[in-house]
Amino acid sequence: MSEIWVLVDKAQDTVRNVTYEVLSAASKLKEKNGATVCAVYVGDNSGAIEADLGKYGAEKFYKIENPALKDFNPSLYAAALSEVIKKHNPDIVLGGNTLQNQDFLPRVASRTAAGLCLDAIDVDMSSSSTLQVKRYKYSGKSIATISFHDVKPMIATVRLNAFKPTEGSASAEVVSESVDLPSDENYKVIETKIIPKERPELTEADKIVSGGRGMANGENFKVVYDLADSLGAGAGASRAAVDSGWVPYEMQVGQTGKVVSPNLYVAVGISGSVQHYAGMGSSKVIVAINKDPDAPIFQKCDYGICGDLFDVLPALTDEIKKLG
Amino acid sequence: MKILVIVRQTPDTEAKIQANSSGNGIQTDDIKWILNPFDEFAVEEAVQIKEKTGAEVVVLTVGAERSVDAIRTSLAMGGDSGVHIKDDSFADMDSFALGKVIGSKIKSLGDIDLILAGKKWIDEESSQVPIQVAEELDIPQATLATKVEVDEGSKTVKVTSVIEGGEEIRELKLPAVVTVEQGINEPRYASLPGIMKAKKKPCEEVGVDGINSDEIGIAADALGSAGSRVKTDNIEIPTISRSLKVLEGNDVQQASAELAKLLREEAKII
Ligand SMILES: Cc1cc2nc3c(=O)[nH]c(=O)nc-3n(C[C@H](O)[C@H](O)[C@H](O)COP(=O)(O)OP(=O)(O)OC[C@H]3O[C@@H](n4cnc5c(N)ncnc54)[C@H](O)[C@@H]3O)c2cc1C
Repeated sequence: MSEIWVLVDKAQDTVRNVTYEVLSAASKLKEKNGATVCAVYVGDNSGAIEADLGKYGAEKFYKIENPALKDFNPSLYAAALSEVIKKHNPDIVLGGNTLQNQDFLPRVASRTAAGLCLDAIDVDMSSSSTLQVKRYKYSGKSIATISFHDVKPMIATVRLNAFKPTEGSASAEVVSESVDLPSDENYKVIETKIIPKERPELTEADKIVSGGRGMANGENFKVVYDLADSLGAGAGASRAAVDSGWVPYEMQVGQTGKVVSPNLYVAVGISGSVQHYAGMGSSKVIVAINKDPDAPIFQKCDYGICGDLFDVLPALTDEIKKLG
Repeated sequence: MKILVIVRQTPDTEAKIQANSSGNGIQTDDIKWILNPFDEFAVEEAVQIKEKTGAEVVVLTVGAERSVDAIRTSLAMGGDSGVHIKDDSFADMDSFALGKVIGSKIKSLGDIDLILAGKKWIDEESSQVPIQVAEELDIPQATLATKVEVDEGSKTVKVTSVIEGGEEIRELKLPAVVTVEQGINEPRYASLPGIMKAKKKPCEEVGVDGINSDEIGIAADALGSAGSRVKTDNIEIPTISRSLKVLEGNDVQQASAELAKLLREEAKII
């Protein structure tokens, strides 16, 4: 029986939503090839998550647990997953396009002589039962359809927010896999600093408010943060704002910043350059606030207000709060 | 110490992208080509290490005839020599094949201590090739570096990497692969004398008249699309179709109320 594997992403004790999104992508493929959808955990301790995984479509749950997998180490994670792939020969391995998956799945692909596509926005099966994905190329300026040669496994990551989780009623049969891992003398984690965030991570956020050169300085970003907080949104920026030193680089959205695709993207005092659009053009709804009626962003947004952002933002924040 | 930087030639960020007549690639006639913006940071980092330690910097690319310009730009920034794997006769390799090709070439070069690369190629939107090279060479990797400190004595590199939600400091035994984050440094502009000098720096060409597998160290069938695992069937240029409802902001309170209502009732997004 052929299998489609979905990598489990966990934050502390809970399964992250992206896992359910990818399970939903796997269920779409299952409709085409009738494969068994399996969740796969790689780490030191999965906890009891099989019920949650089952609820979102996993019929089987492979646990690859080993104390050496406590800290993320791309080589060891790749070694562990590759060994179990070689044992069970899944047709397809999917994961969320998280930094961790981007970091170790390329090694898995080379080890298992597999094809690899990162950041798919859609997945499908060709008639010959090979995986086909759609993904952006050329900085969001084009969408490529990419098909895998008929070589197993076929590995892909799926962009966050690209699929909606679908609840089902499978119950996942647990299969524990033990792997022998050599100790890795070549790679040591010295320190991990998790910097507490006041707002959602941009690549995961469902809504984002970003400020650009129109903000004029760093303090003024307060109005962006206020609007973001009224929406429960993440806060981003254009490169002009980052290069001016008003906000840190991790807030940059665009071709050379983060690529995001939230349901709502609000661009404030941002002109809408090709390079900025490359990072947010796939957002579901784009709102622009700009005082220049000829700003290019007004040609590529869904809604907008033409006005001074320092008047509009407080008023808009008010109105959002009123809606509750 | 010897550093190798993997670079890529990409279309300029402003370039208009159009599908070619076969539909699975892009029209290249009017495109201005540049050194991948993220690779500038990798070259700069290598040159800064060279300035501190006297390391030698080799710049490698895989690409058509024209991609030698990406090497020349890197040499003008301070690199010492180039390796140009000319893939005219075996183009369209996926990251699996590229990992093998670049990996075997590096093996045959021998004494490379550190491999640097930009975090992403802006054309393929691909970040995986340097990692697949690391796997081919069976050496460690750290991606998204915001700080790289080489210790020649202990033959290690300490890398501060961006991770989800924060950062992590890792110590890797050399040789190792490190991809760098934008902003790790301030890439220098190639000076005119630098550009003149770059023209005279050595650049090894591999695969000039088709490929001789000895030159690369892997069999010919591991190259090109035969050696690949995925292929691009089709390229589409999405048309922007947005509703473009722009409200006049003379009365901001009214415009804001209207926008909030549209987002709730029409877009159903808040
Ligand atoms: C290789 C390369 C990579 C790049 N990568 C990125 C990237 O990743 N991300 C990115 O964003 N850019 C990137 N850029 C830069 C990009 O080309 C633009 O320069 C940048 O996006 C402009 O930012 P901006 O829209 O904030 O500023 P501007 O283009 O200056 O626009 C500011 C806007 O604010 C409006 N405004 C001013 N004051 C007010 C006010 N009081 N109220 C309302 N509106 C106001 C103005 O009308 C204007 O439209 C890149 C460029 C290059 C060459």
